Amino acid sequence: MKTNTMSYKFKQYLLFAGISTIIFACVVIIPFIYGLYLTFTSWDGVSRNKPFVGIDNYVSAFADSGYWTSLGRTFIYSAIAVILVNAVAFIIAYMVTSGIKGQNFFRAGFFVPNLIGGIVLGYVWKFVFNKALVELASTISSGHAKSLLATESGAIAALIIVSVWQYAGYMMLIYVAGFMSVSEDVIEAAKIDGCTGTQSIIHISIPLMTASFVQCLFLTITRCFMVYDVNLSLTNGDPYGSSALAAMHVYNQAFINKDYGTGQAEALILFIICAVIGGLQVYVGKKGEVQA
Amino acid sequence: MKKKLLSLAVVAAMSASLVACGGSDGASGSSSNGSGTSITILNSKTEIQTQFEEMAEQYEEATGVHVEVYNADTDTTVASQVATKYASNDPYTLTMVDAKDIYSLADDYAYDLSNEDWVGHTTLGITVNDKLAGFPFCVEARGIIYNADAIEAITGEKFDPASVATLDDFKALLDKLVAGGMEKPVGVLSEYWSLGAHYFAEVYEQQPDPDAFVNSLLAGEEDLAGNQKFNELMDTFDTLIAYNYAKGSAANADREETSMMLAEGQIAFMFGGNWDWSVLNQYDFTENMGIMPVPENTSDDTNTKLVGGGSKYIFVDSSDATSDEQRQAALDFLNWLVNDAEGNAFLTEQCALVPAFDNIDASALDPLSLSVKSYADAGKLIPNYNYLPDDHMTVVGQEIMQKYLDEAMTRPELVTAVQDYFKTATPIAH
Repeated sequence: MKTNTMSYKFKQYLLFAGISTIIFACVVIIPFIYGLYLTFTSWDGVSRNKPFVGIDNYVSAFADSGYWTSLGRTFIYSAIAVILVNAVAFIIAYMVTSGIKGQNFFRAGFFVPNLIGGIVLGYVWKFVFNKALVELASTISSGHAKSLLATESGAIAALIIVSVWQYAGYMMLIYVAGFMSVSEDVIEAAKIDGCTGTQSIIHISIPLMTASFVQCLFLTITRCFMVYDVNLSLTNGDPYGSSALAAMHVYNQAFINKDYGTGQAEALILFIICAVIGGLQVYVGKKGEVQA
Repeated sequence: MKKKLLSLAVVAAMSASLVACGGSDGASGSSSNGSGTSITILNSKTEIQTQFEEMAEQYEEATGVHVEVYNADTDTTVASQVATKYASNDPYTLTMVDAKDIYSLADDYAYDLSNEDWVGHTTLGITVNDKLAGFPFCVEARGIIYNADAIEAITGEKFDPASVATLDDFKALLDKLVAGGMEKPVGVLSEYWSLGAHYFAEVYEQQPDPDAFVNSLLAGEEDLAGNQKFNELMDTFDTLIAYNYAKGSAANADREETSMMLAEGQIAFMFGGNWDWSVLNQYDFTENMGIMPVPENTSDDTNTKLVGGGSKYIFVDSSDATSDEQRQAALDFLNWLVNDAEGNAFLTEQCALVPAFDNIDASALDPLSLSVKSYADAGKLIPNYNYLPDDHMTVVGQEIMQKYLDEAMTRPELVTAVQDYFKTATPIAH
């Protein structure tokens, strides 16, 4: 049987990937194309006719100052959150692979926040910020303390804190896998050559773990840019809409303000920005990978 | 070869099952058979979901019609949930939505209810393009909720809401309460729907001609700073801010906490509506409460009226996805609500709603609803204005009024912000 003909290859492909291709097309490709089409209509989300309006939605998306403000806010939030999540995750990964007592327990413990859904987590932390911390601060300073969530920058800070708490454990797992993949031989060789602990981390472990960094950065960047659930339950844009991140602005635009077309166009812009940053980061990261 | 055939068969079987999944959708809408009709209803008053489900069981026992009650998702808007159902061609037989949604849905999806028996009993139905599309589910109104027990405990005399109709009198009472030991007698909800769609909306609703006023705002011709109603209502709002228990972090006030403080008498006043009873009665409440008009230094009588009217409207699906049999069952159900003693009891007793129909007895309602009913019966309700731009609630409610509530914005800044907003807002066609 000839195995290099087009039809043979196609049959093989169908056999192994046919179903997944169909499903992927149904739930990702087709909705995406349909969504793209909707950005050229002034559909309100409900009515039967979807009047075609050309690029009007993109014009109003570019003119929507609220969107760009929320996008700018998302950049700041993401930049800080991504750095903190990865720094914290790396440090705890190092600690729980360094052979301290009960490290499996700690690994599980740090991972648990990730198992709680974003909505629930937001409500839990809302209580912590609004009640527990305010009560604590009021007792210490013996006056009425303001909740972190009541100030504009405080609300963003609170979002960052919660994101770090939520994602650090998950990223820790990937870094733990990275640490484990660094062969003992190399570390031992470095030790014999006179490397201190810090030196062997910086010059041996980290370069060999680039793949973990690439993965973690990609995951945190995309998640931070698209964050919605925690944003909704923790701040819901309060105070005065100053903590509404890009995804929330898009949602409100489409469903609360019933401007479906503009919302969809803004979602597409967000997707493109996110895809470009994510792709660029992976490309640059992959180039920096080294083999032992 | 045999193996290859087998694997092909597996692939075929799996893809067939996939197709089957997609195809079964269309049939589910018309599953009615001889044993009884089945209808679905979307309940967007989530606080009465339990009562609704119990009612559905009793209704099926009595009439043989199966009613499936769906609770609206609280994390999304009702409009988007309805949109999803229509997009998948699987609409609810009966859908409960806000007045505003009726206007956007009626043309395409609502069945004309003009020939129903209950039409003569209400003036609150919504007519769109000569078609009676919305069945008014209940009456709701807003104003200032007061806890008379808390007031009387300090003043020592019986509280008469009519005595504080003007802002001056209201202020005098607040000062008295403060002197009597209630440090901050007022609560203001910080939620954007309360600030934007309920309080600030009164600025439009109390105008002699709300439509003309909003249109001139949209045209950029209105000078808000010089508008009498705006200033009167904002003066009152300033007073509410000054006596707010959460002053300092007002934009972060918690609805549950504010409601609890009012129910238990730690504060005496809160801006809200009769729907707040379902929150207030979760705490150690007193029955001696009520709703009064927003106090204003005005001469136009608006300070003797609540603002409100029909709230939550039900429309019957007119699309082909609903069979004639189901539609008839849906119409029968609406009739049952109005003309059957059991249906009436469901509305007024189980759900504690103010009925929108004059033939329904409502003497057993909660204190806030009784207040609303007394104002409604006396013709002292200023109608809701249902044509504010869609993003009014998020922009004016959250970005502007919440900032003002938190004292991070002055009145002139608010005026400019609102006027600027209207210049770019998309008007609602009506």
